Parts: sequence; C-alpha cells; structure tokens
Amino acid sequence: MRRDRWLLPVGVEEILPPAARHAEQVRRQLLDLLDSWGYDLVMPPLVEYLESLLTGVGHELDLKTYKLTDQLTGRLMGLRADMTPQAARIDAHYLRRDTPVRLCYLGPVVRTRPDEFGGAREPWQIGAELFGQSGPRADAEVLRLMLALLECAGFSGLHVDIGHVGVYRALARDAGMDAPVEQELHEALRRRSHAEVDAILAGLTLPARVDRHLRALIDLHGAQAEFAAMEALLAEAGPKVQDALADLKAVWRAVDQAHPGITWHFDLAELSGYGYHTGAVFSAFVAGYGQAIAQGGRYDEIGHAFGRARPAVGFSADLRLLLKLRNEAAQAPPAILAPCRDDEALRAKVRALRARGERVIEVLREGAEQDKDTGCDRELIQQNGRWTVVARH
Amino acid sequence: MVTLALSKGRILEESIPLLERAGIVPEEDLAKTRRLIVGTNVPDVRLVVIRAADVPTYVRYGAADLGIAGKDVLLEDGGEGLFELADLGIAVCRLMMAAPIDEASRGIARSWTRLRVATKYVRITERYLAAQGIQADIIHLYGSMELAPLVGLADCIVDLVSSGRTLAANGLKPVEHVLDVSAWLVANRAAMKMKYEALRPVITCLTKERGT
Repeated sequence: MRRDRWLLPVGVEEILPPAARHAEQVRRQLLDLLDSWGYDLVMPPLVEYLESLLTGVGHELDLKTYKLTDQLTGRLMGLRADMTPQAARIDAHYLRRDTPVRLCYLGPVVRTRPDEFGGAREPWQIGAELFGQSGPRADAEVLRLMLALLECAGFSGLHVDIGHVGVYRALARDAGMDAPVEQELHEALRRRSHAEVDAILAGLTLPARVDRHLRALIDLHGAQAEFAAMEALLAEAGPKVQDALADLKAVWRAVDQAHPGITWHFDLAELSGYGYHTGAVFSAFVAGYGQAIAQGGRYDEIGHAFGRARPAVGFSADLRLLLKLRNEAAQAPPAILAPCRDDEALRAKVRALRARGERVIEVLREGAEQDKDTGCDRELIQQNGRWTVVARH
Repeated sequence: MVTLALSKGRILEESIPLLERAGIVPEEDLAKTRRLIVGTNVPDVRLVVIRAADVPTYVRYGAADLGIAGKDVLLEDGGEGLFELADLGIAVCRLMMAAPIDEASRGIARSWTRLRVATKYVRITERYLAAQGIQADIIHLYGSMELAPLVGLADCIVDLVSSGRTLAANGLKPVEHVLDVSAWLVANRAAMKMKYEALRPVITCLTKERGT
C-alpha cells in the first residue's frame, strides 16, 4: 500500500484533538469579542464567480486564487483567497446603508501557493471591516479592535508598526512621475534600497524640494520619539502630506491611550499593500516571529468596483498562525465515564450532567476494560441507590 | 541580540575586513572555526556563517536580523519581504553569458532559436532572456557550468565571472553582460520594525565602511 496516499498537500494541515477543541474555543472567544464591539458577522461563500471575487483587487490576489469552471454556466469560478473584497461587496451590494457598517468574518481561504515559507495554503482568515466612515477615529477603532483581538488570543508585548501611504502618494503626485517610474520607485522603497531610490530619482528632474522629500522618505521610520523629526523633515511638503501626518498622529494618540503597553514604530516608507491601501496602514509583530501576525489599513477605493465607493478600513489575521504562535498545550478535556447499564435513573443523571455542560462518555460494552480508556477523570457509580460522580484512579 | 548572517566563500573573505573596519571583530577566526554561531567584540552582536544561497531564507524568516548576500543570490531568490538596505561594494563581479569561442564569434545568442542555457541562476537567466525575446531551455546545474557546452549539454552558460580565466581555460568567451554583482546588506522586515534601535548602529557602521 502506498504510504504517501495519506499525505496532505504542501501548506495544508489538519488540527487534531485536543488542539482542535482548543482552537474552537479560541475561535468562539474571538467572535464574541468582535460581536461585543458591534461588528456583524457575515459568512461569504467559499466559491464565487471570478469577476466578483477579483474585481478591484490587485494582480497578486489573482495569482493566489484557484480557478475552476462552473459546469452549469461555463463561467469561471474562484475559491476565495481573501475575504476582504467579499465583505466590501456585501457592504456595497446588499446592505446599501449610508451609515457606518461594521462587518466581521472568520473562515478558511485557499491560496494557490503559500505566502511564505511554512505558510498555510488554507489559512483561517479572521478580520473586521468598518465601512462608511473616514478619518482617524475609524482607523483608531479598527486598530484598537485588532489589538484587543490579539490580546484576547493571548498575545502580549506587541509591537505595532504604523504608517500612511498618503505621504508617498502625495509626494509622488507632486513629482508628477509617470506610472512606470512611480511603480519602480515604489518597488525600490518597498525593498528599502537606497541605491535604487537614488538612481531612479537621479534620472528625473524634480523640483529640489520634492526630490529632497522623496529621498528622505526611505529613512523616515523609527520609534515614536522620532516622529517629530520626521514631521520636521516634511514640514515644507504640501497640504496632503500634512493631512496624512496629522491623521497618523491622531490614530496613534487614540490607540496609545487605550493600549499603553504597545511598542510603536512609525514608518512613512511602509508601502506593502500599496496597490489598494489609501491611508493609514498598520501591522502587529511579536518578538521571535519574523513576519506580521495581523495587519490592516484604510482602503477607500475598493467599493468603486462594486459601483459604490465607500470609505473603508479593516484588518485581518490568520487564526491558524495565531494558534500556532501561542502554542498553548491543549489539555484533554475533563470528562465523566458512565457505565453500560439500562437504567433510567442513570440516563436521567447523564442528561442532567450534559445539560450542565459536563462531558459524559458512555461505555459501550459491559465489562470491556479497554472501552474505559477514554481519558475520563471521573466516573459515575451507584452509591446507596443513587448515581454519583466520583474521581477515577 | 542582533544576528548577522554572512555568506561563505568570497563574500566572507571580503566581509571580515569590512566588519573589522566597522568595529565588529569576530571572537574566532571565521575561516577556521567549526562553530556555526560566533560572537563578536560587540556585546549582543553575533555572526552566523552559512551558504550564500541560504542567507535570504535566514533573514526573511527572522533567523538572522541582517545578512550580507550577493545581488545574484538576492535576485535569484526574489528578495520578497527583505529590505535590501545598501550595496556594500564588496565581492564585485559580473554575471555573464558565455559560449564556446567559435560560436561566440559567429554572432551571439540571438541567432539561436531555442537556446539551451546551463546555469545556477535559473530565475535571473529566464528573466534576462525573456527581456531579450530569446526562447530558451534552461538547464539547472549546481556547479562547473563551463563543462556543459564542452560536452554538448548546453549551447551556452550564464555564470559569475571575475577574471575570466576559467572561461578562457575551457574555450569559452563572454558574449552578453547580464548583471553587475556585488554584496548587499539585507534586513528582516520585522526586525527593522521591532528592534531598529539595536540594528541601527550596525547598519550605520557597515554602510559607512562600504567599499568603493
């Protein structure tokens, strides 16, 4: 018999007892938390027509999406690789409210290739989106919710990286670069390659002020104490840059008050997700893991594609990754062993115990010792004609 | 603790003087020691010496905060998720396409239609040839590329060239200049955000002392 028949595909995993039980408990706690903040749960489908799944999102998501043909219509369908566009579609199409809408979701997404080494191809995406409200208050609410969620999942000592793509966008617009050059510069900035940034800018003839600002941008990151220096360096930049900086500061203030234990890092050159982000961007890191564990930001344009542009800000994380990083030893749950007996009093007792939330396992064969190997810490025995729970030895 | 990953081989030879000029002296002779992690005179700065092609992997996943790797390795790896902070100007060489002398003189690669190219640098070669509009079959080899055209395994090769003597000794001649290569300082994205204060002095010293 071929042994490799039981192997799962690369990047795909199953969670076994007792870890699965623990994972489900965490999942419920996190959903309760999102609910307590007033975020309504949506359950978008795993499979959709490709057009709606990929409208308004970048090429990157296209590559990550599995495609299949719908046998009923011949149209192409995709397995969702990200739930954010689905939430935006739901907001734009079905809810059609003019007031702020708060949505949250949790479910598997499927990726054609893992994002990173050891990365999942079937992450459980958990996230929240706030539609219909622009401004730092909404950004701060979503970031606070992201931190509350990570804390609820057991993380402490969080590092938060915060930036604003509006700074680079405004500088690039002032420079009047054409799209391919802007793309090149953005790539070089994303890789923090001083040499490439300098080379690209040297090839352009920009006003001295814009040139100076774009050159400075790559080094505009550091602890919160250095934010004032960053502002000073950009003091002569246009009003859009000033608006972005003011926004960023307001978000940081609001969140810092609520979560004083966070270590902040400001990064004005942070451009990941630049394709769709339009404002503040943030991500959370923990010591010992070389990637962000949750990330989010403002993306005001995505609704356009669905015919209804609305301000939007949100975050998401991979629940599988969060569980793995927490690495809590999941304990087998306490349980009570019930003997194999046709006795109405026993059945009533078992029903009562289960109604109280106890886990009761019934022995299936009278006298079969191996059936008792169920990990129960207690058992039901008859004492003085009454069924009583006693500790097992 | 700051961990700096160094590439074995020529980059290591040229990194050590650069590190020393930057005030970072290994506690042991890196060329001789069998230890994989070596401390330095700077508290909280340690070195790991690994295969060049592994440096991007170590740095990407945060096993090392900083690394020194050749531009060839970075391009071949894709460099996704890494910060490529600065060209250190050491271990300078060129990535060239080379062909047997008689072929080369008959008018280079462009005259072939389905070129067979032997190389260690599959991604770079693919991208380079695609940009030139040349269709090619790429043969992935791990070493001794010069042999491939001699035994009829490939029409030409793409490999690093510093003096060109190995090529000449095997009857090969450079035909196309693919890429200028030198060693770069790379950083883990999360480390730059979480412990920038600790990394900054190391980065500043190294980039200040970069070769010319």
